[in-house]
Amino acid sequence: MDRRKFLRIGGTAVAGVGAAGLLAGCGGCSGKGGNTIKIVSSLPRTGSAQGQTNTIVNGIRMAIDEYPDGLFGHKIAYQDMDDATAAQGQWDAGKEADNAREAVGDKDVMVLIGPYNSGASKVSQPILNEAGLLQISPAATWPGLTKKVPGDEASGEPDIYRKSGKVTFCRVCPTDDMQGPKAAEFVKNVLKKSTVYVIDDKELYGAGIAKLFMEACKKLGITILGHEQLVKQGNYKTTLEAIKAKNPDVVYVGATSQSGAPQIAIDMKGVGLKGPLIVPDGCYEKAFVDGAGADTLKSLECYATIGGKDPSLLTGAGAEFVKKYKEKFGNDPEAYAVYGYEAAKVFLEAAKAVGKKDREAIREAVLKTKDFDKGAIGKWSFDENGDTTLQVLTISRVEGWPMKPVHTV
Amino acid sequence: MSVARYWVPALFAALAAYPFLPVAEANRGEQFTILFVYAILALALNVVIGYTGLLHLGIAAFFGIGAYTVGVLTVPFFPLQQSFLVAALAAAAVSAAVGVMTTAPILRLRGDYFALVTLGFGLIALYAIRNLDAITEGTKGLNPIEAGPLPGVKENVDLGGARLNAEWGTRWYKYPYLYFVILGALGGVTLLLRNLERSRLGRAWVALREDELASSCMGLNPARLKLAAVALGAGLAGLAGAFYAMALRTTGNPAAFDFTLSMTMVCCVILGGLGNRSGVILGTFILIGFDRIATNLLDNYLQEQFDSGAKTYLKVSGWRLIIFGTALIVMMRFRPEGLLPESRHQRELHPEASEAEGEAAAREEAAAGDPGTEGGEQKST
Amino acid sequence: MFELFAQSDAAGGFGQYLLLGLVLGSLYALIALGYTMVYGIIELINFAHGDLFMLGSFFALGLAVWPMDVVTADAPTAAIGATVLLMLVLTPLGCAGLNVLTDRVIYKPLRTSPKLTVIVSAIGVSFIFMNVGLFWRGATPIKFPDLISDANLIPGTGLRFTWKDLMVVAVTVPTMIALTVFVKFTALGKAMRATAQNPAAAQLVGINADRVIAATFAIGGALAGVAAVVYGLYIKSVDYQMGFQNGLYAFTAAVLGGIGNIPGAVLGGLVIGVVGELGKAYLGAKWSEALIFGILIVILLFRPTGLLGARTREKV
Repeated sequence: MDRRKFLRIGGTAVAGVGAAGLLAGCGGCSGKGGNTIKIVSSLPRTGSAQGQTNTIVNGIRMAIDEYPDGLFGHKIAYQDMDDATAAQGQWDAGKEADNAREAVGDKDVMVLIGPYNSGASKVSQPILNEAGLLQISPAATWPGLTKKVPGDEASGEPDIYRKSGKVTFCRVCPTDDMQGPKAAEFVKNVLKKSTVYVIDDKELYGAGIAKLFMEACKKLGITILGHEQLVKQGNYKTTLEAIKAKNPDVVYVGATSQSGAPQIAIDMKGVGLKGPLIVPDGCYEKAFVDGAGADTLKSLECYATIGGKDPSLLTGAGAEFVKKYKEKFGNDPEAYAVYGYEAAKVFLEAAKAVGKKDREAIREAVLKTKDFDKGAIGKWSFDENGDTTLQVLTISRVEGWPMKPVHTV
Repeated sequence: MSVARYWVPALFAALAAYPFLPVAEANRGEQFTILFVYAILALALNVVIGYTGLLHLGIAAFFGIGAYTVGVLTVPFFPLQQSFLVAALAAAAVSAAVGVMTTAPILRLRGDYFALVTLGFGLIALYAIRNLDAITEGTKGLNPIEAGPLPGVKENVDLGGARLNAEWGTRWYKYPYLYFVILGALGGVTLLLRNLERSRLGRAWVALREDELASSCMGLNPARLKLAAVALGAGLAGLAGAFYAMALRTTGNPAAFDFTLSMTMVCCVILGGLGNRSGVILGTFILIGFDRIATNLLDNYLQEQFDSGAKTYLKVSGWRLIIFGTALIVMMRFRPEGLLPESRHQRELHPEASEAEGEAAAREEAAAGDPGTEGGEQKST
Repeated sequence: MFELFAQSDAAGGFGQYLLLGLVLGSLYALIALGYTMVYGIIELINFAHGDLFMLGSFFALGLAVWPMDVVTADAPTAAIGATVLLMLVLTPLGCAGLNVLTDRVIYKPLRTSPKLTVIVSAIGVSFIFMNVGLFWRGATPIKFPDLISDANLIPGTGLRFTWKDLMVVAVTVPTMIALTVFVKFTALGKAMRATAQNPAAAQLVGINADRVIAATFAIGGALAGVAAVVYGLYIKSVDYQMGFQNGLYAFTAAVLGGIGNIPGAVLGGLVIGVVGELGKAYLGAKWSEALIFGILIVILLFRPTGLLGARTREKV
């Protein structure tokens, strides 16, 4: 094949790519000004968080299905975007920024539901804030995203995310500043143990929650024997051998099922380090049980904490939601499914009340939500930061899937 | 070369015109911006692999160092608060310095050993970024990156006559101004490399790549030439990193600068045509464009059409690596010199091609007075 | 961080980390052998080798469930033994077959191409394998059945050497000895060494290069299969990205020892295992990977062809 011919082919290919881009542009404009209200979600749909995000997406779809006639004459569309790449197996800053911009660019989009990871929120929040587009996260629990964290003022959070001066980010899940301390209380009052060893994964979420847990331990008089930051690795035996020598009563692992928590559990059993093991909500999913093995977790006496209620504890509208979910999708919802549902529901209700397709008006209406009880998790409000007033924590014993709730605060 | 010579300016002109077109969309333009950043990175890698034949597998580290330099110099978290221009120049300088410092001791390593050590260096740099929390905020990334005003430009200035579209905003670091800035940088880098290829230095690099012993006998200093190439490549990669951080407004997670990125860039360079600037740009646009733009569009399209939901195998992004892998394998089997091959490299790979064609190509090349645009593989020694 | 390890008991401390490092190192060595043998013959850095290893472990995971459904240590000992044996026979066979097929279809047409062309093809194969792994078992880590006891074999010494550690050693050491004997004394092994030294001359004396290369890929693949089974049983968790990290370590081990050199790969594997684990213990886990590559760079600076690599003069 000679070069000229190839140049032609190459040129055609580029022209094709360009044309595809332009066409896609047009695809966007055709809907513009039309009578569609669009909800987009940006969640890690590739990689190991997929099991959890599947149920969030199902929850969102269920909420939308409850409005078969749409809203004030507008059709409701939903787009499920992925902020993870297969190569990384988890969220990617570039992808998250792309999604946020895609949402901003599409004039039909009235809300972005997501992201799943607190780190990803740091990327999309400033973009959406400048554009004034509402963002409801079902799962990002790092407190700094919405309020100042004591001891971490230097970071300038959350004002650095709010250049426009408005609050655009809110979340329907309780934050870690409740989860960490309540887990510490559980150690002291229910397990009645006095020494802990803390491990975290050096991620925004894992390290953050571990820090909050440790601060609470200090206040409660629980001795912290040590704190180790372990970036995800193939095996943890050496470190766990060393930890075993210190003989802690309880091991707290601030990590997710993606960042090594299952392997830590496996290796704890391997080196004969006795539990109990306590993990935060990043592990409150089936993937954690699959990764670590039910037999491992049973022998370790593992507890997982989650803000809000376990699906099996929901009553009233919540129980109804769980029942419908099972009918529709044929399996149990994971703990965050209900937050996906709640996020979509609070938006849809506010939009219905506003009665017009206006980003700013809907944003204000959603953030002013008070005593919202049309969802599945009971009555709650947004405070001035965009955080939920719901302050419930479930602690479950992990011996297999589903987890068994043993304690509610 | 002659066709490519008109083809590339045409592409640049089309891209420069894009924001003015009625179909232009801000988010698509912002995605193109990222594409240009990767094109600069690929050109940087091409300086090292294509011109001098050193297989460098750690280019992502320089990209990351550039991004983090900009981060440290601009985020509100630190007291430095430099303008972006200063930060970008510093990013290029720091990356180039790190490039020289890490390459100088290992120049005597050959072939695969050199490749592995650069791979190791890339990973060490990544781990260092991840672990030095005091400087880099660990895995949280530095953000948000504050693009201070350019020197001599007041913040929030109304761009007046420069504003052709009411929706374009007033800040230089937002679309479409940043789009033009980075496209301009890409054009500038392309021109710089074009001139460099024809300069004394560029010709020396090619001589070195083709035969190190002979060129050193002719009085060239191989070590100095290789270091110059690495410094230039690393510096440009650092510049690309600076633009990346600017475009994203964050350095993102350090994992974005891992070996996968280095590998992807090597694939872009080889797919497009090792040593050929236009080829490298084309390769990057196709590979990264597919990865970051086309898969998203196709996924969304499939989702709308078939409601395909969450099944990995029903999404184009689920097949991404298979598509990538197959493209690479097919390409290497049938057209190893890349989409737009550099002429000398092509002759090397297709020795069976007719003499006449080779001579014609040589005549053309001689007539063009363009002896330094070769890309090619250093013969295993 | 440092205090933690300073306080750990003296008997358990250093010796224990060393032991763990040696066991892990022999695992890396097993994978490294696959890299080094293929490199020795056709000078290809086989980037797909780590992912072949990953597919092998997925296959072995299937074998635990399929014929006898042995998924916990509660199963009868005979069933566990039979399952492990079945894994150790079938997985290497599968991996060897896949590796030979890959060579046949993808690398063979490129025998005369420049090295970079073949390496890029290998990267392509690696991508494809990874995607296949993703489709096969999804993206979440999966528990590998915990079949072998964690009971300590040497209680009272302060050290911990479990049945699992013994299993690793009992599989890897004989495998490596067998490989060395095979390469040194059998006709095919001699043909391999001859082809590695000088392919043209080897063909002149009647060695069928294609057959030798196929055999090399088969053996390399089989070693990856054995490593996959041992890894699964030892680490107890598999996921589709594990081939990348372990492959990288193994490749580093091969280069550290002198790529193309069989004892070198074993030595390199052990060095990396020990350095990695001691690094975790005394420098902190987050720096141990950096330490591994740091050591690699330092060693290559002083011995540019690896620890046991031949110091060949540059061919001009």
